[in-house]
Amino acid sequence: MTRRILARYGTALAGVGLFAIFAVTSPVFLTPDNIALILKETAFLGILAIGFTLALVTAEIDLSVAEVASLAAVVTGALVHGGTDPWIAIAAGLAVGTLCGAANGVAVTVLNVPSLIATLGVAAIAKGLSFMLTQGVAFVGRWPASFTGLARGTLLGVPNLIWWLAGIGFAAWLLVKWTRLGAHLVATGEADEAARLAGIRTRSMKRLALTLAGACAGLTAVLLASSLSSAAPAMANDHFLYAIAAVLLGMSMFEPGRPNIPGTLFAAFTLKVLGNGLVLLGAEYYWQDIILGTIILLSVALSATGTGKAPFVKKLNVRR
Amino acid sequence: MTPLVEMSDIHLAFGGIKAVDGASLDLHEGEVVGLLGHNGAGKSTLIKVLSGAYRADSGDIRVRGEPAHIHSPRDARRYGIETIYQTLALADNLDAAANIFLGRELLTAWGTLDDAAMEAATRQVMGRLNPHFRRFKEPVRALSGGQRQSVAIARAIHFDARILIMDEPTAALGPAETRQVGELVKQLKAQGIGIFLISHDIHDVFDLADRISVMKNGRLVGTARVADITKDEALGMIILGKCPPGAIPGPGAMN
Repeated sequence: MTRRILARYGTALAGVGLFAIFAVTSPVFLTPDNIALILKETAFLGILAIGFTLALVTAEIDLSVAEVASLAAVVTGALVHGGTDPWIAIAAGLAVGTLCGAANGVAVTVLNVPSLIATLGVAAIAKGLSFMLTQGVAFVGRWPASFTGLARGTLLGVPNLIWWLAGIGFAAWLLVKWTRLGAHLVATGEADEAARLAGIRTRSMKRLALTLAGACAGLTAVLLASSLSSAAPAMANDHFLYAIAAVLLGMSMFEPGRPNIPGTLFAAFTLKVLGNGLVLLGAEYYWQDIILGTIILLSVALSATGTGKAPFVKKLNVRR
Repeated sequence: MTPLVEMSDIHLAFGGIKAVDGASLDLHEGEVVGLLGHNGAGKSTLIKVLSGAYRADSGDIRVRGEPAHIHSPRDARRYGIETIYQTLALADNLDAAANIFLGRELLTAWGTLDDAAMEAATRQVMGRLNPHFRRFKEPVRALSGGQRQSVAIARAIHFDARILIMDEPTAALGPAETRQVGELVKQLKAQGIGIFLISHDIHDVFDLADRISVMKNGRLVGTARVADITKDEALGMIILGKCPPGAIPGPGAMN
């Protein structure tokens, strides 16, 4: 019984412990402003990581989320900067993300390129395009409040970013946990062949999941650009390793061995708590990367050996 | 009487290899037809054409006399064809209910998954097949071979299959569990379900089947009523492709 609870909630409890340690050791950590800051930071990471989670639910890995987000941000930024109606710019950013996701989906399910390679290719293309669009210069300016308000505004006293995270998180959780489509996504990831023989359109499921991952990247991009009033190539890249770490760490909690939305969200928050706390305690920035890398390694080791049932781990070892 | 299923002159090649070369089969209501042959004789491939897992290069499938267009497992299910695969085709990390309703999940009025209804139905159908089964909440990976087989069969019968394909249904089972599956086959047969039984265990097939069809090298050696031939003659069909007088020879019969 204890073992079971530990397997399900162990890493989540560790996150809570971490939170408590920072709350005690830093006078600033537990202030409302700081917590709101952490939550806002979690929003970008969380939405990006939710996309990654959806792809991984179907046992496909999307390494392009950050570059795609950067490209979508640059497109949005270029349009806003040029004076286009913000709503059109937002729609364009979302469309770019979604299209890149669909491109990943087609590469994986139609061209039969393993997602590890396909998404690397799309990432490189997205990177090149974003430099082409900007010629290497960032778009910065006094952008209309109707655009920047998207991320910077508040609703009922709560920052919009937190609403976005909550909304997308809830929608994704609903999708995976409570809909037929979600059950088919999970079945596709858990047992591709069994799902196909049961009449599930597994290729469509993978295509859909990768497309949704791209759409999440597009939304992250729009919110980033709105929040920073700027857009530059590679601007979302800092979130890349964090997103992967959030998903993998999330797989070690709630539903061990399986990518799951609550786990991703909680892990994203924990990682941002970690980053914030380390800065408050005066640790140099590079420690974040070192710790992040360690978390990635340990969480996959946990999924691979502890429970021995993460299908994507097997998939990375042998493919056909 | 119109047969439940007729497959005529089915051809299917993988690259240059003719896995199924002009095979024909039929099945009537309440009948068990055993499909025999060595590994690689083409029996599984032929039957996968009927279950929608493979698409034939040419040939005709009729269900109750009507031409049937089966291009996917989904299509096959629409004709009441359910398959229990050799590898069981269960999703190991999901529980019994999720497996039984895989691809056909029940929904609430809100359009969300109705976990309660699926679990209740699972308890009911598993109660019929395997009354001792209690491990409803565990992933099927944790179940014994016989329990997994019950889940696989439950999946087929819960949806009112009229035509059941059992591909080596007892290959992974012990003697007691094998007997249990045998009882189940008789029970389903009595309900008018037509069953294709694929096996290379000739004793199993002689116990359960009404007729046998034998394949060798992708071709049909012949079809016979179990009552009309001996086990030795059946072995001769399997090994040598020699068709005894009691059987109707197919294109693969040795002259």
